[in-house]
Amino acid sequence: MDNVPIKRLMNWFKDIFGKKKEIRIGFYGPPNAGKTTLANKISMDWTGEPIGKVSEIPHETREVQKKEKVVIRTGDKSITMNLLDMPGIATKIDYEDFIKRGMEKKEAQIRAKEATRGVIEAIKWLEHVDTALVVMDSTKDPYTQVNITIIGNLEARGIPIIIVANKLDLAESKPEWIEEAFPQHPVVELSALTGNHVEELYEVIAKHSR
Amino acid sequence: MEVEIEFISSNILESKTNTQRMSYILNRIKKNKILVLERGLSSFDESRLIEETMKQIDEKFSGIEISTLKENNAKGVREKLIRILGGKPGGLTVIGPSRLIKKIKKEPERISLFAEFKDSGKK
Repeated sequence: MDNVPIKRLMNWFKDIFGKKKEIRIGFYGPPNAGKTTLANKISMDWTGEPIGKVSEIPHETREVQKKEKVVIRTGDKSITMNLLDMPGIATKIDYEDFIKRGMEKKEAQIRAKEATRGVIEAIKWLEHVDTALVVMDSTKDPYTQVNITIIGNLEARGIPIIIVANKLDLAESKPEWIEEAFPQHPVVELSALTGNHVEELYEVIAKHSR
Repeated sequence: MEVEIEFISSNILESKTNTQRMSYILNRIKKNKILVLERGLSSFDESRLIEETMKQIDEKFSGIEISTLKENNAKGVREKLIRILGGKPGGLTVIGPSRLIKKIKKEPERISLFAEFKDSGKK
């Protein structure tokens, strides 16, 4: 897991000898940042099919959801992507939070257990993606340990990172917080829900993906 | 309710394997201790700790709150000198049980920790 110098060397060779024909794009971030909404938007735009179910209750995505061979075109470029919508990464999962949202105790405990497995799965996938979209809710403080840990892991592995400042449609959205917190990476401001500015994301993916 | 805050020397953790280090931290957190680690955890250690935390979550233990101030990466002469002399220039991690720590607010150079002790109702 920690053979980072070898991984970086391999990435360097990939950069020198050309880009991959297919890239694995991982959607990372905390729960309810809009990862699945964005993955659905991209998948719908290019394949006409969604990738997963969306819910306001956290941890709706508890297994990695995949959509393979999604071909996007921007300008004169064409990229074939395998989309990997990851479960949200969290440091705590309390089944009582699901009860507060109206679930029965048993159902809440099952959801919590599945959610813990989802977090582990998402972390294990960190070393297998070619490019990561780190999706953040632009109405919230971006300087959380989950965001910092995800980005720190990806940086150490030399994996290209594109940060998505999502929920631009909400009045309280402050994408500039995200740009200030992570100035070392490209930030795309968009609304996955309305689709506003999603085209800019395609351009950035084409430019920064390995 | 009494809360214990443990300040842990970097020597203790560095002498352990990855697995031992995670167990050492989580065993203490599950006893309702707040830990301040002298040396900040790496991103890999943080993700390992999250993984191990997820495996141990049950009805009594709902997870952790964690925040790390990263060490200054040899930007200053002082930090470089400390490194040359074999020392550790800094970094710090604060970790505790999520049912005790209500919130950790982080800024690049500062961590604020808000804990709630349920039997007294005080914050």
